[in-house]
Amino acid sequence: MLNFIAKRFVMLILTLVVVSVLAFLIPYVGDGDPVRIILRSRMADEVTDPAMIAALTRELGLDRPLSEQYLGWLWRVLQGDFGLSFTTRTPVDVMFLHALGVSLLLALGALAVAFLLAIPLGTAAAVKRGRAFDHATSFFTQALVAIPEYWIAPILILVFAIYLGVLPSAGWHDWSSMILPVIVLSLRPLAYFTQVARASMIDVLNAPYMMAARARGLGVSASLLAHGLRNAMLPIMTLFSLWLTSLLGGSIVVEAIFAAPGMGWLLYDAVLNNDVPLIQGSIVVIVALAVIINTLTDIVYVMLNPAVKLMS
Amino acid sequence: MTDTTIINSTVIREPGRVRRWLADRHLLTKLGAACFLTILLLLLLTPLISPYDPAAQNLLQKLKWPSAQHWLGTDQFGRDVLSRVIHGGLFSVAVASITIILCAVIGIVIGAVSARKGGIVDEMLMRLVDLLIAFPDVVVAMFFIATLGPGPVTLIIALTAVGWTPFARMMRGLTLEVSSREFIEAAEALACSRWFIIWRHIIPNTLGPVFAMAFLRFGHKLITVGGLSFLGLGVQPPASDWGTMLADARNYMDRMPWLVIAPGLAIFITALSVTMIGKGLEFERNRERRESETT
Repeated sequence: MLNFIAKRFVMLILTLVVVSVLAFLIPYVGDGDPVRIILRSRMADEVTDPAMIAALTRELGLDRPLSEQYLGWLWRVLQGDFGLSFTTRTPVDVMFLHALGVSLLLALGALAVAFLLAIPLGTAAAVKRGRAFDHATSFFTQALVAIPEYWIAPILILVFAIYLGVLPSAGWHDWSSMILPVIVLSLRPLAYFTQVARASMIDVLNAPYMMAARARGLGVSASLLAHGLRNAMLPIMTLFSLWLTSLLGGSIVVEAIFAAPGMGWLLYDAVLNNDVPLIQGSIVVIVALAVIINTLTDIVYVMLNPAVKLMS
Repeated sequence: MTDTTIINSTVIREPGRVRRWLADRHLLTKLGAACFLTILLLLLLTPLISPYDPAAQNLLQKLKWPSAQHWLGTDQFGRDVLSRVIHGGLFSVAVASITIILCAVIGIVIGAVSARKGGIVDEMLMRLVDLLIAFPDVVVAMFFIATLGPGPVTLIIALTAVGWTPFARMMRGLTLEVSSREFIEAAEALACSRWFIIWRHIIPNTLGPVFAMAFLRFGHKLITVGGLSFLGLGVQPPASDWGTMLADARNYMDRMPWLVIAPGLAIFITALSVTMIGKGLEFERNRERRESETT
């Protein structure tokens, strides 16, 4: 067990190092002069005077070998200093705090909606296995997966914001501006959660302990609540964390459509404006969060599930 | 005389085989495949069948509802929406297809090698998969767009960079499963090389589930490519695809909601048809397994 955790942590650190190297290299491989790009990210203004550029280059160590520059950059990043955004002229780390809050709120909202709908839907489909309701649910989840979020979002805006006028079309003001993005973001997780809930419920329904529970005189729903849910929860939790990581940074399209100032929107804006420090910072933060959450989930999964331990 | 009997026998046998093959297919597979093949045919025959030039503007006819002349109406420049929809699929479908084929091939090779070699190679490759699988693909795409600039090649590289991981993970499991069968033991006893065993025995016996996964993932890739085009980071003007059509249409949707509905519906139907094929193949496999268990 300790061996497993140690291995995962070594891989985690290795990944973070590789990702940080890649992010560090962005100004060097892209268009433009890396020295100017980096100077711009440290000064509040663009430097144009060649003599000043030469002086600053020496002072900031931009003429030293790449490896040395990388270590300097990494040292600042570890202290939370990603430089200044080109567009807003504010420190990038301050922008992250707000954006992460927005993304976390949207992601947790969407996953809560998906979870609360998927458990009863998946359980019902498992109980009615092979019947019309099961087939309908199966088709419904396939359709949900195939819906592009940049299609359903404008349609929902059209209906609820423009025709009915009950919800704001975009922006980030109060809880009502969260409703539409949360609905759109919840559709695909809902589909996958339902499929997994159904599959694990079928396993549970066939398990001997369920028959024992029924033999003791427990009804179907009572035995499902007492034994089924808990055992079916484990695979759903893994999926939950995978979706959490993907929604924290990956909901770029939805955040852009609804102008929700989250991590994805920040990264999109940065790429559009070629805002190098913001691109570097967003990628490091999003990927670091994703791999850390994923590693922790895997560890918790193994701790909770003795069967996996025995196999490995 | 002999000629006719040969011809007759082939004529008689061929449809039987096709019919038997079709009979084994799940209803979802058949429906999805029929739908997807129609879409592919439409995309390939585009220049022959599209009623108008997709770029031809006619400002007198702008923002019209569907009519006999323009089956899907016209957009803000008076361009025929039907012609634009059938032209607009080529980019997304081509990029998504190339990506999914690359992902499947890389995943098959890495998964099979990992399982057959075992030891430290297996350990390293699978830990790599564990970590890459958590990378959000759109964020990876953003990294490549920031460094290489937007375009189809960037999208293919970006979506393949992490897209192969689920294939590798599944292929490793399947290879381990197949490796316990007798014919592998026989091949090993005959001192067949690792690559020969993988190529001749492992891959043919694992293709079914890999195909199912490829179709299931294709829809997701298609939607991602369209999404990046929607954001202006995929196909570059003057070319356009379903994603850019949707983005342009948003400004006019209060007057002409149809402009948003049509290209989105095209993506939805394409993605749904491949998902149906994938699900159907999965059901077929489960059914075969149940049958082999009961007999």
